[in-house]
Amino acid sequence: MPACRSPFAWLIAKEWRELLASRAWWVMLALIGPLVGVSFISAVRTYAELSGLNGTSAGVGEAFSPLIGVWAPTFSACELAAAFLLPFVAIRVVGGDRQSGALKLETQQPMPPVWRIAAKAVVLLAAWLVAMTPAAAAAVLWRGYGGSVYPPEFAALAFGHVLNAGLTIALAAAAASLTEHPSTAAIVTLSVTVGTWVVNFIAAVHGGLWQRIAEYTPTAMVAQFQHGLVRLDVTLASIVLTLTGLAIAAVWMQIGAPVLRRVSESAMVAAIAAALLLGATFTWQSWDLSEARINSLPEPDEQVLARIHEPLHMEIHFAPEDPRRTDLEAKTLSKLRRAMPKLQVTYVSATSTGLFEQTAAHYGEIFYDLGGRRAENRLTSSDGVLDTIYSLAGVAPPAETDDSVFRGHPLAVPPRRAGTVFYGIWPALVLAAALFHRRHA
Amino acid sequence: MLPAVSVSGLTKSYGRLTALSDVSLTIRDGEVLGLIGPNGAGKTTLFECLAGVLPYDAGTVAFDGAALPPRARASRIFYVPDGIAPWPAQSVRWALDFAIGFFGGRADRRAEVIERLALTPFLSSPIGTLSKGQRKRAVLAIGMLTPHPVLMIDEPFDGLDLRQTREVGAALRDHAADHRTLFLSIHQISDAARVCDRFVLLSGGRVRGEGTIDELRGIANPNSGNPDNPLNSSDLEAIVLARM
Repeated sequence: MPACRSPFAWLIAKEWRELLASRAWWVMLALIGPLVGVSFISAVRTYAELSGLNGTSAGVGEAFSPLIGVWAPTFSACELAAAFLLPFVAIRVVGGDRQSGALKLETQQPMPPVWRIAAKAVVLLAAWLVAMTPAAAAAVLWRGYGGSVYPPEFAALAFGHVLNAGLTIALAAAAASLTEHPSTAAIVTLSVTVGTWVVNFIAAVHGGLWQRIAEYTPTAMVAQFQHGLVRLDVTLASIVLTLTGLAIAAVWMQIGAPVLRRVSESAMVAAIAAALLLGATFTWQSWDLSEARINSLPEPDEQVLARIHEPLHMEIHFAPEDPRRTDLEAKTLSKLRRAMPKLQVTYVSATSTGLFEQTAAHYGEIFYDLGGRRAENRLTSSDGVLDTIYSLAGVAPPAETDDSVFRGHPLAVPPRRAGTVFYGIWPALVLAAALFHRRHA
Repeated sequence: MLPAVSVSGLTKSYGRLTALSDVSLTIRDGEVLGLIGPNGAGKTTLFECLAGVLPYDAGTVAFDGAALPPRARASRIFYVPDGIAPWPAQSVRWALDFAIGFFGGRADRRAEVIERLALTPFLSSPIGTLSKGQRKRAVLAIGMLTPHPVLMIDEPFDGLDLRQTREVGAALRDHAADHRTLFLSIHQISDAARVCDRFVLLSGGRVRGEGTIDELRGIANPNSGNPDNPLNSSDLEAIVLARM
């Protein structure tokens, strides 16, 4: 027995042992392999066909990025596991102590409750990293096929899924601490997850503030990382929300504290979190780590735009569900915001679909105001928007060049041995490890 | 003996139900104090409030004359709840090591406690697979290895057979003799009479009496005191019944 360990080290060791003793953990580990396998095999097969495999016309996939073609779908299995499997593992680790009565013993160690929940969070995050091993195995297989892996975009994607797991862990921990029974905690956790999907749906219909809020839901956050985009505001918001969930879990683990005090402490945590979240929304820094620079305008355009220092206001008359608005937002404005931090966009519409608004005055028009100079048109293409801005700013557009165009990494190779790895070797390894642990624990 | 813990005016309600009403008592340094009373008297509630694992509405707790707020209890009082199976997947051996490491307990007493509570045969067994009596002894061992000056145990003999009850009772007496104050909640009067120095009689959430058997008998029936006639557990039972 190592006597020199600190109480926190003992707690970490205990949480790790409890995790390994949890069936939920082994089930998640066993399932995540085939889940990643299905996604990876399907993605690689499609990628190969588009790259010219089996008679498909070669060259179609030349602009294909492994990030979009392979890694985003492969890692989507992790998103699924984080939403539907990880909560049960987290609830088992956090709520198990309450169920067994161990919490009554552990709470008598004069250690701040924050440390108790921190130990659980550290172990659960480590568990999630282990659970992401099949995704790493997919990368190894891909390299074995001769595929390209661009480390920055791969790291961004993995980081996004770790942040997403942190959110899930924090939510499940808070639910497990707030409720008396694990089944109630599971219902609460899944309800919140579904609730964020509802927010995304409402945002798509109504836009406006809902759209701003929806940018910070786990689904939207992961989608940005899946495109290799690391936004400081989204990253900070994820970290703040994770810490908030863990702090609330710590507050409600104080079983000896009066309920009113726990409620007031929770309210204080929520208030601090709201202030921090508000602060995070004012940060604009972002990094496009994708090899294809899919979140950025062409570099020559960015260099010209960087010379425009006046604030630009765009008033756009498109309804939230108008496909032109979606197109404009995704292909131009999201990139323009990164190049011009002083860009302010206002959407104007009377309805959500815009179907019966087409004949209304100004519908479909975009009004520009750059330092008092105004322009209006109906151009929604990236080139059209940029040309209007250049014209207002009185700067010459950059010369067209093909130098910075991403050529892609076509790979016409079928997903060999992937089925064996994900459907055979991985589950067998997990089963063997579970049995070994059971015998030797 | 000096008072180690003094409790004054402790009150706890669950909605309209008053579980503890103005409970005051004293735990003296180095004694084995028994908390006796019928089921539903509020014994477990009192223990949990004292240990700081259950909030209460009013009252104060002091240790050696200084106020001991709930957050500070963990440094002075350790409470062993009844009916728990902590860390059910972990072995008894690991749980004892964890108790020593996590709570800063006395590793030098580990072997002695294992021997006194006859834990050797199931040291490698997961706690969740133990019988009720075995689990009780494992949890008692965790409590006995902790370093807190006051140890409160809820129903230390629950689930034990007659022989085990005697052995555990003797182990607890010896444990108290080694500079530790014990406060035991016991519903079997005969067991309480064998182990405890003094008693607190709790009924309906109120303290009905506190003292030795003689003192309690004096409270129950002022004319029944007889120093030439030693008391036994049936006398104590009669006192309890009289005060309920």
